[in-house]
Amino acid sequence: MGNELTPLTTDEVRHVLRRTGFGAPPNELSKLLGAVGGNPTRGSVADVLLSFQEKGFRPNGNEFEKAHNKWINYLIKPKSALQEKLAIFFHDHFATSSSVVGNVRLMGGQINTLHLYARGNFKNLVKAINKDAAMMEMLDTVRNVKAVPNENYGRELLELFTLGVYDLAGNPNYLQEDIVQIARAFTGWDYFSNKGIPYLRDYEHDFMVEFPERGDKVIFQSTGGFGSGGMDITADGEGENEIDTVIDIIFEHTDTDGKNTVARRLAARLLEYFCHGGFGEPGPAEIAVIDQVIDESNFDTSWNLTPLLRAIFVNDAFFETAGVAPYSASTKKSVKWPIDYFISTIRLTGIRLQKSERRVAGGNYLGAVGHLTNMGQILLEPPSVFGWNWETAWISSATLLARFNFARDIVAARSVFNPAKLVDLDATDPGEIVDLVTDVLGIVDQVTPAEHQIFVDYLTDDGANPTIDLRDYEIRNTKLHGLFALVMQSPAYQLH
Amino acid sequence: MRISRRRFLQGATAGALSVPTLFSNPFVGRALANIGNRYLVVLFLDGGNDGLNTIAPIDNGGATLRDAYDGHRGTGGGGLNLTPAQLLSIGNDPGSGASLGLHPGLHSLHDLHVDKGAVAFIQGCGYPEYSLSHEVSSSIWQTGNPLGNPAIAGTGWLGRHLAATYGASAIPGVTIDNSFAGVLRQSATSVLAIERLEDFGFPYDDFYAAGGDIAAKRAAFDDLYQAAGANAQSQLSFIGTSGVATLLSSEAYPPLHALYETERAAQNQAYDSVGRNTAEDLREVAKIIYGVEQGVTGVEARFFHLSNGGYDTHSDQGAGQTTGRHYELHAEVADSLKVFYEDLEDMGAADRVCVLVWSEFSRRLTQNSNGTDHGSHGPMFLIGGQVNGGVFGNHPNINDAALDGEGNSVYSQAALDPFRSTDFRDVYGTVLKHWCGMTQMQVQAMLPADAGNPNEYWTAPNFDLSLFLP
Repeated sequence: MGNELTPLTTDEVRHVLRRTGFGAPPNELSKLLGAVGGNPTRGSVADVLLSFQEKGFRPNGNEFEKAHNKWINYLIKPKSALQEKLAIFFHDHFATSSSVVGNVRLMGGQINTLHLYARGNFKNLVKAINKDAAMMEMLDTVRNVKAVPNENYGRELLELFTLGVYDLAGNPNYLQEDIVQIARAFTGWDYFSNKGIPYLRDYEHDFMVEFPERGDKVIFQSTGGFGSGGMDITADGEGENEIDTVIDIIFEHTDTDGKNTVARRLAARLLEYFCHGGFGEPGPAEIAVIDQVIDESNFDTSWNLTPLLRAIFVNDAFFETAGVAPYSASTKKSVKWPIDYFISTIRLTGIRLQKSERRVAGGNYLGAVGHLTNMGQILLEPPSVFGWNWETAWISSATLLARFNFARDIVAARSVFNPAKLVDLDATDPGEIVDLVTDVLGIVDQVTPAEHQIFVDYLTDDGANPTIDLRDYEIRNTKLHGLFALVMQSPAYQLH
Repeated sequence: MRISRRRFLQGATAGALSVPTLFSNPFVGRALANIGNRYLVVLFLDGGNDGLNTIAPIDNGGATLRDAYDGHRGTGGGGLNLTPAQLLSIGNDPGSGASLGLHPGLHSLHDLHVDKGAVAFIQGCGYPEYSLSHEVSSSIWQTGNPLGNPAIAGTGWLGRHLAATYGASAIPGVTIDNSFAGVLRQSATSVLAIERLEDFGFPYDDFYAAGGDIAAKRAAFDDLYQAAGANAQSQLSFIGTSGVATLLSSEAYPPLHALYETERAAQNQAYDSVGRNTAEDLREVAKIIYGVEQGVTGVEARFFHLSNGGYDTHSDQGAGQTTGRHYELHAEVADSLKVFYEDLEDMGAADRVCVLVWSEFSRRLTQNSNGTDHGSHGPMFLIGGQVNGGVFGNHPNINDAALDGEGNSVYSQAALDPFRSTDFRDVYGTVLKHWCGMTQMQVQAMLPADAGNPNEYWTAPNFDLSLFLP
């Protein structure tokens, strides 16, 4: 069992960078090692990463592609890669799509909010999302009025943003009646269209006095550890206060194990995101880790994300995917998200994207939106309120081909892809060349001897050319470019 | 809603679908049954199609269905009421005798019904202990597993058929999308995800030296992915197997695009004139079917899945006016299906193709301002030349007194109930048995019955609905 004092090898620091950011570029590695005085431990590295300034970033523009690409540019050179990784996590968690909202500026506002709260207070983040204009459009809050309440937001607030349908023991966390009550509490909200500032329209709100036959708004009368009386939403005052009160009550919900439901669900999702898919369907061992990181951080009372993330980053679970090749049945790995594959590859190969489309200047000359659409992840445009499907759901013949196309386009972009800057062209030994290329791309320790031999056989044409002259224009453009593409297309490069 | 389901996925923990597991069941023999020279196309109306405005009562018949409908679906601004004059007649409700009509956006489906007798309208399809969550209910429909039976957990209902019927090197299914469909989920065979055939070729760098070095690149890629496919680590082997199938299919499938465009120019144009996503998606299916029919090497898909999103009509739903969202969605789907059917007829394959249309749930009887919240059971459609056209199953009981606490119609299996529901697994089972050629015993293993009160649970499966011509 490791802890915050456990020292890290340089390879392990690379692992930390890969999982908390986008690849482990040499400059970020040396900066991080410098910041911990050359003696990295799990705790000291986590503290440096988690000290990023809680500043906003607003990917906006007058049309979708501009806003999308503004974020892409920022991801390639972020102030903090971890802040971006967290913003993307919460973008998936509170999945809102620009095309449904119909106003990319409102999306920019939401993404800015996600940046501001990325390591802040989760409860306050949910309260901010309640009144976020893009979310109010996405889930029909603006169309939720007292005469005809709309359940869309209330349902997803419980199912996706906080509790989940079932607790870890498989029991339901809430009933349909709870959704109806919450929908009533949320009636009447709208926002000023130019700035997205929220306000309550009293005349559309479901005040009890106007509907005495409906009685109090009470939730969790049958679930959530509140006893048969449930919790009264209007206890802290009707009208504007109610939607904050709803959040306060939800965050006190306990599951059938007597644990805080919101804390467990968010911790499990963060563990799944930063560690591996085992936390998507946690068994007893994973549940113990979920409870451990909550206990260590007091997340279930403070709702502060920084200590929770620190507890995750010093936990053994975070290092489970650091294992090297060859893999066995018990090796834990995680499938790289398309945005991770895209951004980290650009950072590691050092290529510059071109024009406002942020094109890769080779092969199909596709822009960033095109590549990421084909890979299955367009930022600002998650497929539904459920966000994206993770792990092997990222992989299909279509999305694999999209990744292969992107890799091919990079090596074919000869005006911007310059492998001479990445590997020593004086190397002639094919095995050494394979090591150099897999090191640049960050998977030198993830290649089995058999895979290494496949790369060597490719370079040497099955031994026909035992040494490789990379200074030869044609050989370099055929075999070195080819090897870069092959490594980026290899199975190991799809995982981290 | 009673979410008190006995755990969505027992054996695994609750939550998302579990990792695909190899389906193995002693009662299911390999290669004993298959779809032969037929095809099955599954079309998902994603978001929860408003069934009550898809097949609506035109009159009361021997009951009060139309009155109940008029009582909750208003007229005027934002009202969702479809008038009797707008509804396209398809026959009578078996239970109540009410005359039934289709949403006017489905006029092309009505054409297929009237002109070809090629549409089975199956009303009131659902399952016990229904969920109002898109994700949970979609998973239930995809898996055919409402109550979390561990014997079939984590696999798609059609995926189990593929796993039981085809070998590891087979590629029997294609999803027209960039991700896999849950319906086809399993890990014993390969299923492709193809958005557009013409973009499905394998990418090689076009640098001219050494002939582009393509043979060496291909060999290295193949070796890497074969090795990964044999690895014990589950994600690596998944990627490996997917990559091998992708490489092979990226060589066999893309030529189908040009083959179709060249040899079927008129049909190609017909899809263009519909000009919507579902038409374009169905055209990709048609190209593949044409390739199989022409005996193209390496193309042997018999099962297809595609979806039309946008059915989550909480707002802007519209009634019968052509600008309403529900109208536009229905018109897109029905117009596309009609063009597809006529294409298949011209290929001589209409009698060997069956299209199954489903949605994860219907919508609430009581509407909101110009939309509807999530509901319970709704209609399915089967379309094909060998489909026994007409109305099957009963309209849901939408009389006020029969609604549950959330205002949704109630699933019933009571034999004497004139509004008795159709369990969607009876439809799946009938398709597996009478279209995919499985035996009763094999289908029972694929779709095990529920335990419980026989009036409220699916304890007496019927895989012999007369949905196909004898």
